[in-house]
Amino acid sequence: MQPEHADRAGVDGGRSDPAGGIDILNLSKSFDGPEGEIVALAGVDLAVREGEFLSVVGPSGCGKTTMLRILAGLEKSYGGSVEFAIETGGNPLQSMVFQEQGVFPWLTVLENAAYGLTVRHVTRDRRLAQARDYLRKLGLSAFETAYPSQLSGGMRQRVNLARAFVNDPAVLLMDEPLGSLDEQTKMLVQTDLLRLWEGSNKTVIFITHSLDEAIVLGDRVAVMSNRPGRIKTILDIDLPRPRDALELRNNEHFLHLRRAVWDSLREEVVSLDGAGADLGTAAQAPPS
Amino acid sequence: MNRAERFLVFASPVGVFALWEALAHLGWIDVRILPPPSAVAVTMVVMFREEGLLDHTGATALRFLVGMAVGVVPGVLLGLTMGIFRWFRAFANPLVALFYPIPRIALFPLVLILVGLNETSNIIMIALGPFFTMLISAMYSVLNIDRIYRDVAENFETGPRHLYTMVTLPAAMPTLMGGLRISVGLGLLGTVAVEFLVGESGIGHVIWNSWQVLSLQRSMAGLVVSAVFGFAVYLSMDLLERYLVPWQQKSTAA
Repeated sequence: MQPEHADRAGVDGGRSDPAGGIDILNLSKSFDGPEGEIVALAGVDLAVREGEFLSVVGPSGCGKTTMLRILAGLEKSYGGSVEFAIETGGNPLQSMVFQEQGVFPWLTVLENAAYGLTVRHVTRDRRLAQARDYLRKLGLSAFETAYPSQLSGGMRQRVNLARAFVNDPAVLLMDEPLGSLDEQTKMLVQTDLLRLWEGSNKTVIFITHSLDEAIVLGDRVAVMSNRPGRIKTILDIDLPRPRDALELRNNEHFLHLRRAVWDSLREEVVSLDGAGADLGTAAQAPPS
Repeated sequence: MNRAERFLVFASPVGVFALWEALAHLGWIDVRILPPPSAVAVTMVVMFREEGLLDHTGATALRFLVGMAVGVVPGVLLGLTMGIFRWFRAFANPLVALFYPIPRIALFPLVLILVGLNETSNIIMIALGPFFTMLISAMYSVLNIDRIYRDVAENFETGPRHLYTMVTLPAAMPTLMGGLRISVGLGLLGTVAVEFLVGESGIGHVIWNSWQVLSLQRSMAGLVVSAVFGFAVYLSMDLLERYLVPWQQKSTAA
C-alpha cells in the first residue's frame, strides 16, 4: 500500500532528497498476538532529512514506538528497508532517549550521563569532563553524586537526555521522553532540549502524543495513521528558531499549525474509537 | 525511624525478658523447665569462663561462614549463568527441579558415606540450603530485569563485560540481597543441625549435649548465644545491603 504524501505545506516530503538522511522504505512489522498476528506497521515510507528535528504523532498503538525501535536496532526482524545516509564523523550513529524509567537507578547522575562513553572505553578524564559539561548545561551539576531515585521526574528526564547527548550520536531517537512529566515541567525540559539541540547538528526523530510538543520542537511533524501504521501527512513547521517553548504556545501561527495537525490526526483518533455519536463533538476541539 | 519506633525496637525484647523473669519469680512458670533469664545469664558467664563457650561460639561462627561461602558463591555464579544463557538454563533447570525439593537433612547419611564423617561433610550440609536458595534467586533476579535496561544497554552497544558489571549485576542485586537474607537463616539452621548430629564442638553441640544431661540452664545459655549470634548476622546483612545496594534507601527496624 502506498502512503499518501499529502504534503500540505507543499514542501518535499518524498524520498528523492539528494542530501543525506534516513530513508525508510515500505517498512512493515507484525507481532504474534493472543488472537493471531498483529500488524503494527504496514508500508511506512519516510525520508528524514539530515540535521532536522522530525516530530512523529499518531493515535495510540499506531506503531510509532515500533518504528523507532526498528531504527534503534532493537527490533531485528521487519519488512522493508532502513538506510542511514548520515555522516557520523567517527561518532556513534544513533542513540535512543528512552522513557523516564530507562535511567539506570543504580548509577549516579554522573555515571548515568557518562554511560555511553564508558561502554565505548573512552578514558575516564574525558568521559567525566563531557558528562559534566552536559550536566552543567542542564542544571544538574549539584546532583552529580545523587541517585535517580533522589531526583524529581523532570531532573531524571534531564539525566536521560544528558546520557544520549553525551554519547554524541549523529541521530537521536526519542520515544516519548517527556510523556510522564506534568505540563509545566514538560515545558521546562522542552526548553532545555531545544537549547541543546539547536546548538548541534543532530538529526532527531521525536515520538510524542502531544500536538503542542510536536509543533514546539519539530521542523516537521509527521502524522501517522491508525494501526497498521503508515505516514499519513507531513507538515512543515515554519516557526523561526531559536524557539521559546514557554512563549510559542500563544503565537498565532502556532495555533494555526496546531489546527492543521489536528485536522489530520482527528480522523485517525475518531476512527480508532469508532463508537459513535458523542465522539464527533469530542473530536471538534483539539485536546489540550 | 522516629523516636517512638526506636524505643519500641528495644522495648519489645526487653519487655519479653522482664515478663519471663517476673513470671518465674512469681512461680507461674516452673523454673526447672524454663529457668529465668537471670539464672541463664549466670550460667552463661560460668560457661564462658570455665567451659570454653567462647571456643564453641568461634567454631560455630567459622563453620557457618565457610558453609555460607561454599554455598553462596557457586550458587550465585551458577544462578546468574542460568539467568543469562538460555541454553544453560534449559540444561540445568531440570537438575535443580530434581534436587531442590529433597529435604536436605535427609541427604546427610548419603553425604556422610560419600565424604566421610568429618568437617567437610558438615560444611557441605550447611552449604546446601544457601546454595539452592542463591541459585534460584540469582536466576530469577536476572530473568526479572526490566526489559528497558536491556534495551538501553543494547542501544548503547554495551560489550559483555560492561553489560555484566554495569547492568546485569546491579539490576539483579536487590533480589540477590533478598536471597542472601533467606540464605543466612538456612545457613544458621544447617550449622546448628549438623552440630546436633555429629558435632564435637559448636553451640549446637552445647545445646544438644546439655539437654541430653538435662542441664536446661546450660541448654538455654547456648540458645541465647546462638540467638545473639544470629542477631549479629542479621545486622551485618543491613550493613552489607547498604554497601551493595546503595541506591535503595530503605529503613530497617534494627
